[in-house]
Amino acid sequence: MADGPGQGVTDTDTTVIGQGVTVTRTGETGAFGGELLTINFGPHHPSTHGVLRLIVDLDGEQVKRIKPVIGYLHTGIEKQAEALRWQQAVVVTDRHDYLSPPINNLAYALAVERLMGVDVPPRAKVLRVIMSELTRLASHLVWLGTSGIELGASTMLMYCFRERDSILDMNEEISGYRMHTSYIRPGGVMADATPRFLDMLDKFIGVMPGHVDEYEDLLTMNPIWRSRTMGIGRLPAQDAKVLGASGPMLRGSGVAWDLRKQMPYSGYEDYEFEVATSDLCDCYGRYLVRIKEMRESVKILRQALDRLPDGPVNVDDRKMLPPPREELETSMEAVIHHFKLFTEGYSVPPGDVYQAVESGRGENGCYVVSDGTHKPRRVKFRAASFVNLQPLERMAMNHMIADMVAIIGTADTVLGDVDR
Amino acid sequence: MIAENLIVDRGVSAGDSWITVAGESAHEALSGLKEAGYQLLVFLTCVDHLADSSRHGGGAPRYELVYQLRNMDTLEQLRVRAFVDGDPPHVESVSDLFPPANWDERETYDMFGIVFENHPDLTRILMPDDWVGHPLRRDYPVGGEVVEFSEEHETWQTAPDKA
Repeated sequence: MADGPGQGVTDTDTTVIGQGVTVTRTGETGAFGGELLTINFGPHHPSTHGVLRLIVDLDGEQVKRIKPVIGYLHTGIEKQAEALRWQQAVVVTDRHDYLSPPINNLAYALAVERLMGVDVPPRAKVLRVIMSELTRLASHLVWLGTSGIELGASTMLMYCFRERDSILDMNEEISGYRMHTSYIRPGGVMADATPRFLDMLDKFIGVMPGHVDEYEDLLTMNPIWRSRTMGIGRLPAQDAKVLGASGPMLRGSGVAWDLRKQMPYSGYEDYEFEVATSDLCDCYGRYLVRIKEMRESVKILRQALDRLPDGPVNVDDRKMLPPPREELETSMEAVIHHFKLFTEGYSVPPGDVYQAVESGRGENGCYVVSDGTHKPRRVKFRAASFVNLQPLERMAMNHMIADMVAIIGTADTVLGDVDR
Repeated sequence: MIAENLIVDRGVSAGDSWITVAGESAHEALSGLKEAGYQLLVFLTCVDHLADSSRHGGGAPRYELVYQLRNMDTLEQLRVRAFVDGDPPHVESVSDLFPPANWDERETYDMFGIVFENHPDLTRILMPDDWVGHPLRRDYPVGGEVVEFSEEHETWQTAPDKA
């Protein structure tokens, strides 16, 4: 299929941006004989999902050159994590990809646990899966709602945020916070699930498939949605692999790669679900992948809720997690452990580890280096959005400027994750 | 795999296997590993080992470059380390081998001041273009930043040689 309009331009220059990946640009004069017009797209453009600035060269309405400028939301999260103790650094992991806090927590917690050689109890593992899948749903719902409103389906936002709000209610019930939950932490989870949470989850699992049908009724066969997304922003499978794309960007190009299947963590190998893929390689394909993933997430949630085992939700290690409140009144040892944990914290054996998890956007990894002290030497977040933003020029070249909105939208980058 | 004489050291850390190569031969080693099937560079970053008490023996280079590679067919992962020193430290860019390294190297340059030779566009990516210093170095203080638009801010952001 053609790469969009702009075919038949003779004055071209082809740039190789990776083996077999090229972008074709016209020369300094546009296809219609006019000069190229350089504009700023963002950083305060509402459809850039945050503060992404693109310097775009336009020939008429066609995109001929894109230079992304990032860093407007850089908050030094990796530097802050180095200044915090191991158990405190969980709160900064919430905030880089602010649409999927528990998944970021999970990457950090698993990395620290692997360095310390601890294994969390089965109930904690299942609760972690439940929170991860709820977060994936919430993240896809934000994506679907905002993409809908950008491409002319205003009611999508209302429907999607209705369901997202019930997920945030569950976050509040289980952790006390609606968004930055810090629920998953090294050694287990913050607190056990309450009976009310399990009731809410059960009801949610019951109604959610019907809601996904509603979204599909509104969009899947909608002629406006289809014409805005089909054939737009093509990224062939080979190019997606070479450019390092992950998550729905890669699966939307027909590559069945999902870390939950390929490199399972936290017990994902025990759940039955399909990896959603689409061979369309365009914005519509990425939309279909995310819709399918929402259905699969509901399936995982049902299995997790049915098999939720009884037992503790934290490792029984007083050097890592504080003792129960009751023990503080009777045991001197408990008081000492409590004091040591909240003044010095625990130390992690020297070494380094990389743990990758599948977030709603792709591979969100955490690379942790310990020098044996009570603070991390280095915490590096491998952000899916940072890598998924780089194929933008490949996808948007020779498209109309209005299609950039669809392309940025379906790449689903979170600028907090890009800039960290 | 790559030629044995390139590998300085190897081991396993918390289940992740790693090799160490010399800073000058990092590009050669990564190109060999790419041929051997490690097609994906998951991430590239740097660790500053300034005053690291867990390291034995003084005089070890301060900066550790870390390349995490993955073979997407066999699911094997390999971490390549290269230790470099100098002010600023130099290493050859691998963005010609792995396109995602382009932004990762810009970020590592921005945050640690590592100079990647033959990089197509080695500029700051997250910090403003006129920023002084490299924030993720261990001798760069946390919270040492002066409030923006305050009177101290102007002098603080001026390079010492221009002050």
